[in-house]
Amino acid sequence: MRWTRSLSELAPPALLVVVVGVVGSGTSPARQIDFQTALVSVAIVVALYVFVGNSGVLSFGQISFAAVGGYAAGVMTVPVELKVGTLPALAPLLRDHTIGNLPSLLLAAAFGAVYAALVALPLMRLSGLAAGIATFAVLEITHNILHEWTKIGPGAGVLSLVPETTGMLQATLGALVVMAIAYGYQRTRFGRQLRATREDPAAAQAVGISVHRQRLIAFTLSGGLSGFAGALYVHQIGSLTADQLYLELTFLSLAMLVVGGATSLWGAVVGALAVSGLDSFLGQAESGVNIGFTLNLPTGTRLVAVGAVMALVLVLRPTGITGGREFSLTWLRQLRRKERTA
Amino acid sequence: MTALLELDELEVRYGAVAAVRDVSIGVKEGEIVGLIGPNGAGKSTTLHAIMGLVPTKGGSIRLRGSTLAGKPPESVARLGIALVPEGRRIFPQLTVDENLRLGLAGRRSRSGAEEDIDAVQELFPIVREFRRRQAGVLSGGQQQQLAIARALVAKPDLLLLDEPSLGLAPKIVDVVFEALAEIRRRGVTVLLVEQRAQRTVAFADRTYLMSNGEIRLTLTPDDAGDTDRMVAAYFAS
Amino acid sequence: MTVIGAVDAQNLVDALGLGAIYGLMAVGIGLVFGVLRLVNFAYGQLIMAGAFTLAYASRAGWSTWQAILACFGVVIALSLVMEVTVFRPLRTRSPAVMLVATFAVSFLLQSIALLVVLKVQGQVGIPASTVAQLAQAVTIGGVDVRKVTIVALVVAIVALSGLALLLGKTTVGLQMRAAATDFTTARLLGVSANRVITLAVLLAGVIAAAVAVLLTASQSYVTSDFALHDMIIVLVGVVVGGIDRLWTATLGGFAIGFTRGVINGALPTDKSVYLPSALFALVILVLILRPAGLFAGGRSSVVDRV
Ligand SMILES: Nc1ncnc2c1ncn2[C@@H]1O[C@H](COP(=O)(O)OP(=O)(O)OP(=O)(O)O)[C@@H](O)[C@H]1O
Ligand SMILES: [Mg+2]
Repeated sequence: MRWTRSLSELAPPALLVVVVGVVGSGTSPARQIDFQTALVSVAIVVALYVFVGNSGVLSFGQISFAAVGGYAAGVMTVPVELKVGTLPALAPLLRDHTIGNLPSLLLAAAFGAVYAALVALPLMRLSGLAAGIATFAVLEITHNILHEWTKIGPGAGVLSLVPETTGMLQATLGALVVMAIAYGYQRTRFGRQLRATREDPAAAQAVGISVHRQRLIAFTLSGGLSGFAGALYVHQIGSLTADQLYLELTFLSLAMLVVGGATSLWGAVVGALAVSGLDSFLGQAESGVNIGFTLNLPTGTRLVAVGAVMALVLVLRPTGITGGREFSLTWLRQLRRKERTA
Repeated sequence: MTALLELDELEVRYGAVAAVRDVSIGVKEGEIVGLIGPNGAGKSTTLHAIMGLVPTKGGSIRLRGSTLAGKPPESVARLGIALVPEGRRIFPQLTVDENLRLGLAGRRSRSGAEEDIDAVQELFPIVREFRRRQAGVLSGGQQQQLAIARALVAKPDLLLLDEPSLGLAPKIVDVVFEALAEIRRRGVTVLLVEQRAQRTVAFADRTYLMSNGEIRLTLTPDDAGDTDRMVAAYFAS
Repeated sequence: MTVIGAVDAQNLVDALGLGAIYGLMAVGIGLVFGVLRLVNFAYGQLIMAGAFTLAYASRAGWSTWQAILACFGVVIALSLVMEVTVFRPLRTRSPAVMLVATFAVSFLLQSIALLVVLKVQGQVGIPASTVAQLAQAVTIGGVDVRKVTIVALVVAIVALSGLALLLGKTTVGLQMRAAATDFTTARLLGVSANRVITLAVLLAGVIAAAVAVLLTASQSYVTSDFALHDMIIVLVGVVVGGIDRLWTATLGGFAIGFTRGVINGALPTDKSVYLPSALFALVILVLILRPAGLFAGGRSSVVDRV
């Protein structure tokens, strides 16, 4: 029973991601970048979901863990002989060592988790807007340090020559790993307790659940997964600046999550894929695309359309595309019934 | 004579739970009607449905024959129904006078407002005496008086009261019931939700006993002594 | 040169001006939060829209007053459109959903601005010269005071007194205060939800338009991310000050603007690179010690609702 439920909930989003990976592999190398970006977005959004979705507390800080992971993975995988030229101010420990692809992903996850745990200890006592602003402050501090401190990275410059190991396969596998861990967590006692605090904090506390501890666990796990996703990100693009993992991605990833449906893994995956898909379709349309007729949009329409779609979904369907529920056949049936009556 | 307020087979649900089922109640002009029942019976929910605070699932709510369905609370208030909510819900940071004046928002006409405020202050002297105080520093009984006064300055045709005696000392309960008697004398129709069963039955023209979302009994003042029937209805499920 | 030594009268005057502008923005955010429990992140883009109106008006050769009038018209109209199309449908939703929805709106308005300015202008920004004369300085007692600083202070004082009168002395003001503490009960008493919300949005819009004029006068190159960073800083100030009450929110906005002004003027740039970190660390500390706000009385429940 438990097994079939797990399978029926985790399999659909996993299948969707695999389909995206497979379809993506069949396209031109230029196209593949869009698919990889979408898959990395899945990893980032699902990592965000682990905390925000399960706890119901808004966090603007998760991208800073992705940034820390991305920088750690990036700086440590640039070949030693290239670092001397591109990152002259780097601390000797970082300058003289290089690690492989897989270790860099794990290192990023570890960095993300440790940093998140440190941050969470004081911050998870807060909730509501205060928590929102405090996590935002974490994002600002992280960005500031990464942007200025040349002993640990390129500072205001570009971290370049990072091995581009996140291809189609790694992007797909990476997204799947993040999803599996996220799903595994939400089915544990911890995950269920945290969700209880989301629904009714007072009642949850009354039955002896420690809100602080549960949020701390989820925040740390989310931080680790974010760090991992950040590493996927830097290995996909091959370069990184502090501004790439900052405000815009924070807002975009939150919007993806809410558009998909913030309270379910299915919602996180659907949201990330839907918004990325729309984004890259419109990106193509800006340079002319044939969909029966040739669609040729002026540059900049892409952002307007993505913004409009996000706003529309939020206004018309505030619980997101999936309604914030896990995939289930009844859901599909209900949706179909609604469509028929509409 | 048609009823001022008429609930007909009212049904209210919170998700899957039916909090109110098949409730039919009529309140005629000038009457005091009681509604009693144990915790969770659906009394507050009934009042909330009348005020448009919760959507109804079935049945109808009519004021002088025209339906209230789908009307927002502020419109219901301006049609002449005032609710004194459970727990009083006064504005603690505002002064007593400001609280009272907020009640004016529910009036259909501004004329005579000052006279009505005077009259209400006569009925509840503390409302005048502590005019400039922050309402939050008043005692529970005083806050209850303020809440009733605030509802009265709207000059409602129908006053809904949700457990006005909740948490008050016996002496203050007397004050509240005396005020209700005076309100009745002034011709205001009242639907009174209470937990004090006997007292309410004796006081009201007619009292409905509600349990588990349904009306179980209708009682008249003569039944006030018949505690056995009430107890049986309270605990029947 | 020590940091303290660098803070002179000149510096303080400039900081006061920025504090006044941020204080006004905080009022706009606080007013809407009061009645809707909604943090309107898109407030910054209302200001941006006003700035673009000024810029295009000056391109079209309109007089200063015509431009300012147009700015108020556009910003107020946009505020009301936002209320009807976004806030109203989402009114009963969780604050998190509402906040993210206003992100989306903010993002949308920024992208529209970028699209338009790129298309028409061929570059990312457009200068607004109509109100630039406000940036000129007059010398008072050896201190160069830019006119915009004086105007900002006057506008802030006038706006706050006007608002205090409105809230304190009028019926609708009383209704707004009541709605800000307990919306449901206010409605039960017959207070019209639409009326108080529309009024709050309208007032916030008027303030946004005024801020647009002030900000455009001091930074006359208008881009699609105009006022975005100011908005973020003000938001931090508002929450640190205490968003539950209008005056604590305003004080928070003013304080963070003033601090920013003093620091900007006092520190040589090469020394201030880690200043944001220090400031935000301070923000975290304040929030941990006083989650309901630096200036708020006790811990309050409203903050817990998001
Ligand atoms: N907002 C709500 N959401 C879900 N269920 C609710 C809500 N309000 C009330 N209920 C449920 O509806 C039922 C009726 O509640 P209601 O408040 O109407 O009872 P009541 O008769 O007023 O009780 P009391 O005397 O304790 O005030 C209860 O089972 C209650 O748990
Ligand atoms: Mg009740």
